[in-house]
Amino acid sequence: MTDVTLRIDGMSVTVPAGTTIWDAARDAGIDIPVLCHDPRMAPVGVCRLCAVDVGGRTLAAACVRACEEGMEVRTSTEQVQQDRRTLLDLLLSDYPDVSRRERSTGDDALLAQARKHGISNIPYPDGSRASPRGEDHSSQVITVDHQACILCDRCIRGCNELQHNDVLTRSGKGYRTRIAFDLDTPMGESTCVACGECAAVCPTGALTNRALDGIALVSEEET
Amino acid sequence: MKQLTGTPPAESTVPTRRVDTLCPYCGVGCAVTYIADTQRNRIIHAEGRNGAANAGRLCVKGRYGHDYASHRQRLTRPLIRRDDAYPKGALSPMEERPGKPGGPVEESAVLPHFREASWDEALDLVADRLLAIRERDGGDALAGFGSAKGSNEEAYLFQKLVRAVFGTNNVDHCTRLCHASSVAALLEGLGSAAVTNVVRDVARADVALLTGCNPTDNHPVAATFIKDAAVNGTELIVVNSRRPRIADYASLYLPIQPGTDVALYNAMLHVLIRDDLLDHDFIRERTEGFGELAETVKPCTPVSAERICGVPAGDIERAARMLGGARAAMFFWGMGISQHTRGTDNARCLISLAMVTGNVGRPGTGLHPLRGQNNVQGASDAGLIPMVYPDYQAVDDAAIRKRFEELWGRPLSPRPGLTVTEIVGAARTGQIKGMYILGENPFISDPDVNKVREGLSSLEFLVVQDIFLTETAEFADVILPASSFMEKTGTYTNTDRRVQLGRQVLELPGEARQDWELICEIASRMGYPMHYDSVAEVFAEFAATTDAYASLSHAALGEWGRWYPCSDPETSEGEPIVFDDGFPRGRARLVPARFEPAEEQPDREYPLILGTGRVLEHWHTGTMTRRSRVLDTLAPEAEVELHEQDAERLGIADGQQVRVSSRRGTIVIRARVGTDVLPGTVFIPMHFKEACANLLTNPSVDPWGKIPGFKFCAVRVESAQAAA
Repeated sequence: MTDVTLRIDGMSVTVPAGTTIWDAARDAGIDIPVLCHDPRMAPVGVCRLCAVDVGGRTLAAACVRACEEGMEVRTSTEQVQQDRRTLLDLLLSDYPDVSRRERSTGDDALLAQARKHGISNIPYPDGSRASPRGEDHSSQVITVDHQACILCDRCIRGCNELQHNDVLTRSGKGYRTRIAFDLDTPMGESTCVACGECAAVCPTGALTNRALDGIALVSEEET
Repeated sequence: MKQLTGTPPAESTVPTRRVDTLCPYCGVGCAVTYIADTQRNRIIHAEGRNGAANAGRLCVKGRYGHDYASHRQRLTRPLIRRDDAYPKGALSPMEERPGKPGGPVEESAVLPHFREASWDEALDLVADRLLAIRERDGGDALAGFGSAKGSNEEAYLFQKLVRAVFGTNNVDHCTRLCHASSVAALLEGLGSAAVTNVVRDVARADVALLTGCNPTDNHPVAATFIKDAAVNGTELIVVNSRRPRIADYASLYLPIQPGTDVALYNAMLHVLIRDDLLDHDFIRERTEGFGELAETVKPCTPVSAERICGVPAGDIERAARMLGGARAAMFFWGMGISQHTRGTDNARCLISLAMVTGNVGRPGTGLHPLRGQNNVQGASDAGLIPMVYPDYQAVDDAAIRKRFEELWGRPLSPRPGLTVTEIVGAARTGQIKGMYILGENPFISDPDVNKVREGLSSLEFLVVQDIFLTETAEFADVILPASSFMEKTGTYTNTDRRVQLGRQVLELPGEARQDWELICEIASRMGYPMHYDSVAEVFAEFAATTDAYASLSHAALGEWGRWYPCSDPETSEGEPIVFDDGFPRGRARLVPARFEPAEEQPDREYPLILGTGRVLEHWHTGTMTRRSRVLDTLAPEAEVELHEQDAERLGIADGQQVRVSSRRGTIVIRARVGTDVLPGTVFIPMHFKEACANLLTNPSVDPWGKIPGFKFCAVRVESAQAAA
């Protein structure tokens, strides 16, 4: 396999052909934010948060775009930053007030990115009030909050690519698109085998451990 | 405009500690981080770690089945049977009474027959009674069952106690009930019973044969890697008499009549030889006995096999050609191969298939009996077997015995001991008088429970060491409250031969104590001082007796463990694939098998064939999983699966209560009608006391592995109302 050499934020990087920009940047110690991507799964490039400037007409999603010889990648130009803030504004515009993940394990990746990008006022009306997307409490182990779902597909890939249980999918179109179990049956009545992979890979408060509802975990030292 | 206001605080805040350890359940050996609520001493969350066997993946048991350890029914004080609770017998009813929570044993019926005691009183009583039996009747009147749920260190100490202090080799554990026949065949054929390659090596196989196993239910995380491989081009041949979910990913599914495996595999060998799909170099250089094997399978044509095993001859041909044409093929098997009265013959056939096609010792090739318990490999390695010391060294070899006599400082018995089922039988006849059972529950796990009841009742003295009041503990004179997996540190060897360190997550409840310390206490009080400063020190003594572990130590295993053999844990992960240039016995021995029908064939009175097994959510006798809120809620009840043709003929509807009877007993259970099981066969999971599958099973055993044929006995199914 041949290697390609490119520059990422001014740093010269040589990687095997086919390596994604995101992987190359990570190996070079450059952190490109992601929500939909997880190194354990095939990238799908749907959240666009990882979009970077490669000198093209539009920004490129670093998680799926392969490195090219002589490519000049800039990961945090003002335009890139502004795009990320706009994406985060849109994702957060109908995000629920309570993220179950943030409240229990404190690791909601969307809210972490919001903090990192200094977002506090969303320039849109609160979409969660206009047409609520609903919750599903039918599973013994996982609470589903569709309002907190950003359709990143991680749970779907976790279910189908990692565990091969082939239960999770998408259903509906437009704003009514939702993750769905089997043919959109309640999770607890579906063929789900409760492996918990979907909740483990979910970056937001959409799929969380039901047993942690209403409790906040803090490390022993913090108390 | 929407304001991002920050997440409002939760109703309560819980102080937690994260501990990197292992899942306590199956032989896959998933690495996991448990997050413990330190205030309430319970686990509340689990995260998969990037372990060699699981790459961060977990299943429902590992992720949600950890709460058993903090169940309110944990034993926390030593218990001694009250004088008025003799003569001994079961104390709780077999059938469930509605509305009683917390699993099968009725505490309220059992506990009044015991009184709490101090540790000194309980341990002295155990030592005195066992010593008295040894002095009066000799060491062979005593026996011990250790457990494949315990650590390597506990297994080593337990067999040392039985051998050096009890003075007998009557020590065995549940490997006898799961892979004893596979072990017998592998030791005979290769000289080693461990897997020859790891599960995840299936990614490099062209073809994988999965026979008599249901990995999506019983080794769920291993199944995900096998499905990965299938998605990426590995062709799966799935053989079973109850269609497993993984057959969805198979290129070829062969539904086989129970107990006819030898016929199928001999026919596949026949085709491989007939069509010259052999690895002649491998056969010539690495094996012996090919001539006799070829002679044996010569008459075994696919057409004749079809008449016996029900698999169409064309599919047998195709399966053989797939194996013969594969650059690399891997062989997975489970209890559907081993738990037969000809289980050793079944495993011999699989070994022969791998050998004549040269499929061992290279990437993507190998023999992999999927191990059940988290430490069944390690417990066997550590000598929890009646015929062998640690490292499978024969007890009847004088030179080996002398070495262990020097190491342990006591004369040792030259007679191989009795196996699990033999010990239960010997208890019935009074030959075995005293027993120490650590972490096993033979009352539910052994075949023909009515006989087990007689055996346990007949014992003059029984001490049970466990975390819950098991059905077996109802027969005990003394019950010792012990440590759950979550409360101990020790090593466990998974199905891949990976030795990994499990770390203590929780504090022991009440006065419960570490299992290894209790073994030492009993030894010391019986006049054999046994003292170790730490579990790591026990490991060091064990490793010194066992070549495969010799380079390892707790420190060297670190966070992630090592595969054995491991030349140098500093620089090597160990060997994922073994036997690339030779077998421990030199050449592999090909042992031909001839088809013999199972002993108890169906007849007019008992027209159906019963096979027992497990369900995804439960573990063995249910002691742990039926005390896990999530697992017990997901699978609260036993069901007998029967084919819709049989159901229709018998007038049985899905969901109806039915009566299942064999020559040995009767149970009442809910019917689940479907097409996964073959017509003429039924399946019952083993976990449920109130519908105890082992009341029905046949105790006759395989002549070599001494494993009972749990997968085959004749039964009758009838509507419960009609029969009442």
